[in-house]
Amino acid sequence: MPRHNRNMNTAGLYTLIEREIKRMFRVVVQTLVSPWISALLYILIFGLVVGSRISSIGGVSYIDFVLPGLVMMNIIQSAFAHSSSSVYFARFTRQIEEVLVSPLSYMEMIIGYTLGGVVRGIVVGIGVYAIAIFFTVATIEHLFLFLLYATAVSAIFSLLGILVGLWADGFEQLSVLSVFVITPLTFIGGVFNTTEMLPPALKIIAHANPFFYFVDGLRYAMIGFSESNMFVGALLTGGLLVGLLVLVQHLFKIGYKVRL
Amino acid sequence: MNTPALRIEKLVKRYGATEAVKGISFEITPGEFFGFLGPNGAGKSTTIHCITGIATPTSGTIEVYGVDVVKNYRAARSLVGFSPQEYNVDIFSSTDAVLYYMAGFYGMRGADRQKRIDYLIEKFELVPHRAKRFMQLSGGLKRRVMLARALIHDPKLLILDEPTAGVDVELRRELWRYLQELNGEGKTILLTSHYLEEVELLSRHIAIIHQGTIVAIDTKEAFIADGSTLEKKYLDITSQSRANAATQS
Repeated sequence: MPRHNRNMNTAGLYTLIEREIKRMFRVVVQTLVSPWISALLYILIFGLVVGSRISSIGGVSYIDFVLPGLVMMNIIQSAFAHSSSSVYFARFTRQIEEVLVSPLSYMEMIIGYTLGGVVRGIVVGIGVYAIAIFFTVATIEHLFLFLLYATAVSAIFSLLGILVGLWADGFEQLSVLSVFVITPLTFIGGVFNTTEMLPPALKIIAHANPFFYFVDGLRYAMIGFSESNMFVGALLTGGLLVGLLVLVQHLFKIGYKVRL
Repeated sequence: MNTPALRIEKLVKRYGATEAVKGISFEITPGEFFGFLGPNGAGKSTTIHCITGIATPTSGTIEVYGVDVVKNYRAARSLVGFSPQEYNVDIFSSTDAVLYYMAGFYGMRGADRQKRIDYLIEKFELVPHRAKRFMQLSGGLKRRVMLARALIHDPKLLILDEPTAGVDVELRRELWRYLQELNGEGKTILLTSHYLEEVELLSRHIAIIHQGTIVAIDTKEAFIADGSTLEKKYLDITSQSRANAATQS
């Protein structure tokens, strides 16, 4: 007979995470190689070619300044892409019914799909960091903070991916948030520049952009340079994480677009 | 008195303005082989989806061995095995992987899990096909995988929605043999099928649902007591129900 205690179906949760990770490795060119090649090009062009003409920012070379932003950008995009496509295709092929009929709690289902995205985000992020080692010093000054930000932000975007995977009724909708929100806000979130470089009006907007705090938090963890109030960043990250978790759990509970 | 294997009380399921199931009630006793018949769109699959957690009931109660499928959904789901009409699997996964993941979702681990997978692979004669991707299997083999998957956690109640749809006569008979064997071992089975001879052969109790309402429920013997066949009786009952509905509207 199956074994799972009253409170937690650990074997079920582990299986869901295992399936998500294997799904990532099934299309390794798309999930890992592609973002790593993009990151390599960014490092070469922005870091070395453009960066060679910029003396320093925040006391570090331009490539060292840009690297945390590149790592964070890839973490965000990979975590989001993983869970959004996973949930959407599971709905599309009705494979999600395997999970729905099983004795997994709604929270376990969400944790399973979320951690799939988190793992992909972190694997991609660490890969980008490893590539950068060939071109620069690539320090991590505060390892715990680095891991905390990488995990928390990938969880946020993995949860956002689940939301979009639930909501989308077609492939077009699946890419809407990524194209119109995530990519633009990441680019203007301080990946390539400090807010000091911006005109005053844009500086205010930059500080209202949550992506700025994600990038800035990871930058502080890696090179010790920060422009934002770390407390605000931590509060925002924690708040978004909890808020999205509550929302996604509610949607799973009412069966939004997953149950008939 | 024994707790029913399945108890449905005043089940209603609405999709927007459409009422797919209109307050049906029935019970299945443990160890029963229960045939659930009805034309397309009658509410069979909707009822099954409400039992298994794929659909949310609008109102009413469903209990599996006394466990409420909404209030105590995890415990209820561990008692039910479900083989759906449509293939809801990852078509790129191998037969082994389909069973491996499902066993995990049901909380199985380690040697017990592998032993159960090996047992079902052998029982359903899937040994030469265990490494093949689901998409590479023939229709009959896919049906066997679905059945093996439904049985992976050794459920007390097995629900089969058109388990022999689209399979040839030989395999259908083979699947009948499996099902009779399982029922003989004490497993409660709820079967829906459009093949009435199949239901007549396998079931001991039969319910007919039409336009979301149970229009007949009895033992198989009672259905065919006047020397009629189940098919004739089914057609009489559903056409009568259709006529009644037309008169009322």
